[in-house]
Amino acid sequence: MAEESVLKNKFKQGYADVFYDQWPALTGGLLLGLFSILIVAWSRPWGIMGGIRNWADWLFYGLGLYPARPENPLLFSGSVMDIGFLLGTFGSALLAKEFALRWAPTLEMIKGLAGGVLMGVGSALAIGCNVGAFYTPLINLSASGFPMLIGLMIGGFIGHKYLLWELEKFPSKAAFVPAANPGGKIFDWKSVQPYLGVLVILGLVLWAYVYAGRAYTEIGGLLLFGAAFGIILQRCRFCFVRAFRDPFMTGEAGIAKAIALSIILGSLGVAVLKWTGVRPESTYVISAFWGGSLFGGIVFGIGMVIAGGCGSGTLWRVAEGQLKLWAALLTFATFNSLTTTFLRSTGWRQRLGRAVFLPDVFGWGGSLLLIAGILLLWYLLVTWNEETNKFTVGL
Amino acid sequence: MEEVKADETLDARGLSCPMPVLKTKKAMDNLESGQVLEILSTDPGTRNDLPSWTKRTGNEFLGEKQDDGYLRFYIKKK
Repeated sequence: MAEESVLKNKFKQGYADVFYDQWPALTGGLLLGLFSILIVAWSRPWGIMGGIRNWADWLFYGLGLYPARPENPLLFSGSVMDIGFLLGTFGSALLAKEFALRWAPTLEMIKGLAGGVLMGVGSALAIGCNVGAFYTPLINLSASGFPMLIGLMIGGFIGHKYLLWELEKFPSKAAFVPAANPGGKIFDWKSVQPYLGVLVILGLVLWAYVYAGRAYTEIGGLLLFGAAFGIILQRCRFCFVRAFRDPFMTGEAGIAKAIALSIILGSLGVAVLKWTGVRPESTYVISAFWGGSLFGGIVFGIGMVIAGGCGSGTLWRVAEGQLKLWAALLTFATFNSLTTTFLRSTGWRQRLGRAVFLPDVFGWGGSLLLIAGILLLWYLLVTWNEETNKFTVGL
Repeated sequence: MEEVKADETLDARGLSCPMPVLKTKKAMDNLESGQVLEILSTDPGTRNDLPSWTKRTGNEFLGEKQDDGYLRFYIKKK
């Protein structure tokens, strides 16, 4: 009947809007900001690096390099968030038929490894990646987010200059022939993906209930929050690298603007939670102000441009099947673990910086105004550059 | 989109962000006005990146075509 097919078309259109088309950056930014507040209210702020380091710690513990047994990855908050993130992204990619094991030419794979090394070292110095040392700290009113912002901008610029140089030095690459349709002619792998995606998402929800059933409800919630962050980022193809590279590369400022607004929104919410005492003021106030954040940010910024993904961006691309980023994740995790262990054992970790809670210095209102002010300045700068292309290199 | 005859083809398959756009930029520099560049890509992000870059640089985005495991994009130089 006519009504049925209209309903069916509406469903198809709705599905396409949500699962096939890329979400706008601003939508992603606002959702991220909202969930960043909710997760703090639930348990703890969002992070990426902690979980990844935990996995690398287990690798080195297994190899006999580390004496101390790391935390249980199924109960450690950082690890559970990342597991949720990966699975959520995997499900989202499947629903959008975007999962595929994507090989990359040798030079790209090397860049993945090298970029990951820089990201690993940089995030150890900054005590966090783009999320854990820039985005989340600012939302949690930690001064360390500001030098990280500057470091990432500098690193992004240097990384971009490297790519331009590489483009000239290695102009043509051997044409890459993709593998014949994986899955063969027996069945259409692509059309099966959405159903697998549904299974993955259902599995996530079930797993959260399993946690709840064993009195680990809070951890189960973190699994789902991680998945939510992953899905938001994957659907938007949200990439912090773009925020710091695109203004120099194409002049585009979309992601930078979305992040700026996202942080302003998130900081408002978390300020409320901290002021009312729901969470301790010291939560996520990172002891890296300002040397660790600045220099870690520069190193991380260069690495993420070369690798083609930041901390969160690497993870969602891994779940999409991009093998270059698998290489990056490998060195990212291992080098962060090794560098952190090194910094701890030499006592140099203390030298990275201090923990500075902005309201201690500027008061609550002053801190929110400062954060909003600096981010709006960034917003204006990139928007101005979008029109004038004054900072764009090689356009 | 109807059949388009490409003057140059850039094979960016296997490359991930931002390489397809950077290489497109370079390839377009070598084209004459009115010529068409065809770009092959496996990176999902290219679907948004290329039209966006094309618009920003004042070129004409002609369209995309799905092929076996990759996409073909067509840009006409202004």
